[in-house]
Amino acid sequence: MRPRSARTSGQLLALILLSAAAWAARAAQPAPAQSPPVSAPADWLERMNTALTTRNYDGTFSHWHGGRVELLRIIHRVQDGEVSERLASLDGSGREFIRTGSSLACYLPDKRTVLVEQRPREQPLVGFPTVNDQTARFYDIHEVGRTRVNRRETHVITVAPRDEYRYGYRLWIDDSTAMPLKTQLCDAHGNVIEQIVFASLALPARIPDSAFKPEVSTDGFQWLRNAATPPLPPAAAAALAWNAMRLPPGFRMAMRAAQVMPGSSAPVDHLVFTDGVASVSVFVEVQRAPADQSAVAQSAAVGSSSAFSTVVDGHKITAVGEVPPATVQFIATQVKALEHPAPAGPGAGQDAPH
Amino acid sequence: MNEELDSQLSAMFDDELPSAECELLARRLSRDEQLKARWGRYAVMGAVIRAERGLRLNVPLAGRVSAVLLAEPELGSVPATHGPRSSMRWWQPLAATAVAAGVAAVAIVWLRTQSPLAGPMLTSQLGVPATTVPVSATIHPAPAASADSYVVPRPLKVAPMAVPSTELANYVVAHSIFSSPVAGRNLLSAFMTSENGTAGAEEVQDEAKIGAH
Amino acid sequence: MGADASDLSLVRRVQRGDKGAFDALVLKYQHKLVKLVMRYVRNAAEAEDIAQEAFIKAYRALPQFRGDSAFYTWLYRIAINTAKNAVVSRDRSPVEYDLDRNAGEESYEMQGRMKDAETPEGLVLTDEIRATVNAAIEALPEDLRTAIVLRELEGLSYEEIAAAMDCPVGTVRSRIFRAREAIDRRLREVFEGGLGRAEELG
Repeated sequence: MRPRSARTSGQLLALILLSAAAWAARAAQPAPAQSPPVSAPADWLERMNTALTTRNYDGTFSHWHGGRVELLRIIHRVQDGEVSERLASLDGSGREFIRTGSSLACYLPDKRTVLVEQRPREQPLVGFPTVNDQTARFYDIHEVGRTRVNRRETHVITVAPRDEYRYGYRLWIDDSTAMPLKTQLCDAHGNVIEQIVFASLALPARIPDSAFKPEVSTDGFQWLRNAATPPLPPAAAAALAWNAMRLPPGFRMAMRAAQVMPGSSAPVDHLVFTDGVASVSVFVEVQRAPADQSAVAQSAAVGSSSAFSTVVDGHKITAVGEVPPATVQFIATQVKALEHPAPAGPGAGQDAPH
Repeated sequence: MNEELDSQLSAMFDDELPSAECELLARRLSRDEQLKARWGRYAVMGAVIRAERGLRLNVPLAGRVSAVLLAEPELGSVPATHGPRSSMRWWQPLAATAVAAGVAAVAIVWLRTQSPLAGPMLTSQLGVPATTVPVSATIHPAPAASADSYVVPRPLKVAPMAVPSTELANYVVAHSIFSSPVAGRNLLSAFMTSENGTAGAEEVQDEAKIGAH
Repeated sequence: MGADASDLSLVRRVQRGDKGAFDALVLKYQHKLVKLVMRYVRNAAEAEDIAQEAFIKAYRALPQFRGDSAFYTWLYRIAINTAKNAVVSRDRSPVEYDLDRNAGEESYEMQGRMKDAETPEGLVLTDEIRATVNAAIEALPEDLRTAIVLRELEGLSYEEIAAAMDCPVGTVRSRIFRAREAIDRRLREVFEGGLGRAEELG
């Protein structure tokens, strides 16, 4: 088998040196890392999120859901403030997700398609929910104990939901690196719905660019990109501004933007709601297809995440998030257009209607 | 051993030999036990260089497989059965127009509805006893801070989304970067893996045929 | 030189009734397949059984192989399905490997460890084989060692290696061949020497 990516001679030279070093260094033993002092459970979550977003890592993990186990590989690098990431299925589908700079690409060889989403540079590429004081009202976060996962010392942190609008997590967080070696997503009764366990994990100081090239060959593939548009100010994106009239307790709007999806040119409103742990996106776009596209609500699942879409006033509203189906359904059916634009930014979505 | 021949063997092992020469060498390789043994040792060298730990390097599989195959009919002597799926097309290309128009003409429904509570109890399969990690058993109702109290609606019986997979794929990708790092990885992992087994479907067919042996 | 020409020439022979050609394919891919299967089952002996099953399935399914994908890709998928079926039918949990701290740079590798099911002889041989090959590689002149390491460890094509080492492709081919020759001189001893120690132990 031949590698498909072309390499420059500089990279090849680096590879020679790297191979020589790898060859020579195989027997070296590291000094054991110092473990940090005892911390509050929420601190561990923050440390974990920091590790996941700022460190370089390269690992393979198994993903369990619905009785199926799949293996995937993840490579993550932060260099000069830029995040590169590659997530690839090691099993039959051969799909890959690659993020470099401001572009997100999905390679779907089983559909002979590549989706490329170019995000506007001004928009933050990542804005994820963070645990705060309010979160404790809806989740019970505590450290259950310490245990060893594959001979590594870990802290077991549970994030248990207090109601059925949301899911919970059990996290086995590595004591020395704060990486989550094992994570379980559970429903409100503690049943495990999804699990990720790392089979191998390394935190290299350097990862070459070649690690973020797709392995799949894209000859003859269909490329769907979003039209490169400057970021549209949310208020100007449409005469109507969409918002959720009600939200499940604890959820607030975290972001609102307009963007264009790959393969189309129509702008789509994108709202993000979060309760500090889970987040739900709502996409609103003008319903394009003729009336034979059923106007009845539709739901779907991607792993443990839920999606729900409905049509309101000629607009298709889709909610997607790592919450139970009832929650996305609730949020999606609460989304309405307001006559005048609501003020953009956090806090724009309130628990109770105005 | 003839050095030219061995050099060709080495090149063929790396898939760097012109196909005409491959044909000739393949014939010799299949009949010459010494050449075959050398070829096998090339594979062992590769395994050592890649530091493939945890497995036996002198894996005796070839001998065992060969022994089993002795009892098998030779291929080509039995006419190959041609089922409707015999052409190994691993995927159906999406019609370009269907995708561009966003019309649900695509028959591939690769996501299915699922109620989380209907999932199987995983804990026993994991070998983790249910009591190992206690979860708070009482679920407190949300404090009634807001004026209205909400009843969680029962999910409606809804049709599975026959949406073009591309559209939902876009949403999933666009949402994933706004999830927490753990949740985002869960989501993308699920997305990356072939839930409907479209890529694996061919093998399932073959297995059905194999079962007849 | 078409892509996958090597495998295809062997596959075609098998499809025409030459079983010996299939041995060559097994020899080439057996380690890779066992390693792949070991992601699903921890036990090396079990992994070998599953890999064996996969090879046999592949042989029987070979009449339907048309060359639309690379042979190894096709074989790989059969192996995965076989492994998964085995796992599911035995009701096992997702794979977990043992960790083994290694290397520097605050990086650590988790590596598979065989807990059981290995005869002591099997283990000794594996270690002996590994030691022999490693020693032979250490003893190689640098240009030969670099060439074979780039080929086997990094998976570079001859052309890419030629670019990296700034020499003609023909030289790369020759260096890799000579590296293998040198290693084989020592390795042959382990496999054929005296008691035929590395013969199948069953």
